[in-house]
Amino acid sequence: MTPSLSAVLGTELGKLKRSLSWSIVVLLPLVMVFAGSFMTLVSQQQLADGWHTLWLRSVVFYGLFPLTLGLGILASLVWRPEHRGGNWNALMSTPVPTLRIVLAKTLAIALLGAVMQLVLLIAVVVTGKLLFGLPGLLPPRYLLVTALLVVAVLPVAAVQSALSMTFRSFAAPVAVALVGAGIAAVALAAELGGVIFVLPHALTARATQLATGTFGDSGQLTAGGSLAIVCASAVLTLLVVALATRFQERRDVRV
Amino acid sequence: MDTVTTVNLTKSYGRQAVVQGLDLRIPQGCVYGFLGPNGSGKSTTMKMLLSLVQPSAGEVHIMGEPMNRRTRRRQLARIGSLIEAPPGYGHLTGGENLRLVQRSLGLDEAQVNRAVQAVRLDKQLDKKVANYSLGMKQRLGIAMALAREPRLLILDEPTNGLDPAGIEEIRELLRRLASRGVTVMVSSHLLGEIDKAADHFGILAEGRLLFQGSREQLFAAAVPDVLIDTPEPRQASAVLDGRLTTRVEGGSLRIGGIDNRVTARVVADLVGAGAPIYGVRREEQSLEDVFMTLTAGGRL
Repeated sequence: MTPSLSAVLGTELGKLKRSLSWSIVVLLPLVMVFAGSFMTLVSQQQLADGWHTLWLRSVVFYGLFPLTLGLGILASLVWRPEHRGGNWNALMSTPVPTLRIVLAKTLAIALLGAVMQLVLLIAVVVTGKLLFGLPGLLPPRYLLVTALLVVAVLPVAAVQSALSMTFRSFAAPVAVALVGAGIAAVALAAELGGVIFVLPHALTARATQLATGTFGDSGQLTAGGSLAIVCASAVLTLLVVALATRFQERRDVRV
Repeated sequence: MDTVTTVNLTKSYGRQAVVQGLDLRIPQGCVYGFLGPNGSGKSTTMKMLLSLVQPSAGEVHIMGEPMNRRTRRRQLARIGSLIEAPPGYGHLTGGENLRLVQRSLGLDEAQVNRAVQAVRLDKQLDKKVANYSLGMKQRLGIAMALAREPRLLILDEPTNGLDPAGIEEIRELLRRLASRGVTVMVSSHLLGEIDKAADHFGILAEGRLLFQGSREQLFAAAVPDVLIDTPEPRQASAVLDGRLTTRVEGGSLRIGGIDNRVTARVVADLVGAGAPIYGVRREEQSLEDVFMTLTAGGRL
């Protein structure tokens, strides 16, 4: 009997027990939110537009570089044990189809990415209430942006997973993530909106800028913009997973 | 019926052939000792059997069905393997590693327990694999391969890192599995590690199969020297001089590479020439001797 995707995904999540990945998932967004808040407090500025300003200071830079880098590191951490000892031979000698291995790894990395967004959201809310005493709660549109971000990390998770699957090196895929983030930042600054359909790193970065009014964003969360993010995420993820599967299916193990 | 058959199995990298034209036949329910010096192509062959490496030429059939990239995942459900280093996630315990295998392959608790008991790892399951000795890692790797209750088990140097007692336990395990109908292919560069467990052998050197067959066939393949006991070995040697390569050893004349028919003619010639003979026998030889003969003293 061919193992189901849910069984394979469950196995992948089981491998994350005691993994260093969780410290990245928790610490990276916390550091970014607290750094933004700290700068605000040190400069004795006020949050001119309340929750919006806090969101802007927490998310804009995080979305341009740290998020993509974090996903790159997570992918390398998730694949690293597979490249050790006899694990690679064992992985390739199971009855689990290659597509399910690639998909389950991508989903595991994306799930870590999704938790990272939730930690960010909670950190923004806690900081807003406890540190700045902002009235009310975070506007619902940022919950929607967070939901879109959960979807938008998928293509980067797929690309970084494919790279970390292919290369035994921990650092090389992370370097690619950094380069991807750099190209994405330049393209978004130049308001090249179409780049999100080509470069997964740009798609993730663009999703973080939703409703912020920065890097070519209108400042409004529109249905069209949201749909473009979801569609591009689905298409890019499927494309990368399909290519990675095809590549891996043809590749030999090292002799 | 043969569990594994290969036809002209070949692997080349550029102009360098690593494995050349192997025609393996591994009978069902046997322990097949796959022997050869380091670098002779054993691991590459095993990887081709598992479709981890695609052959440059030739075919692999497992249990009558072709083994290739299209069929491998289906085939692998009934093949357990341990290739090169043992698997295992160091940050998890042995028990957690086995539960991952159980979950991903949909195995039940009893299957995992049987595998654990077979390698006697029950008392080490709560320890992190990073803290395992090499021998314990090998046992865990074998348990992971056994848990799916395979019909074919492919083990590449499984006794690496094991102490003599551990090696004997693995031998016993292999024999037990074969008695239940599991076909076991086990490689080693040391004959002594598997000669007691294996009943069929394949001997590989420089990517070519030097020998394949049963233990009896292996003994027959390397004809032992004939020793002729005589008080006049130099006289006897002079009689055969120029026809056969002989060596005088004390009160005996040693003649290599002659079959029974030639032996009878030699004896007749010696008697005809008046050489006194009081004994003719073939030298007793161990499997180690046979192996050394076939691999040219292990230098191949």
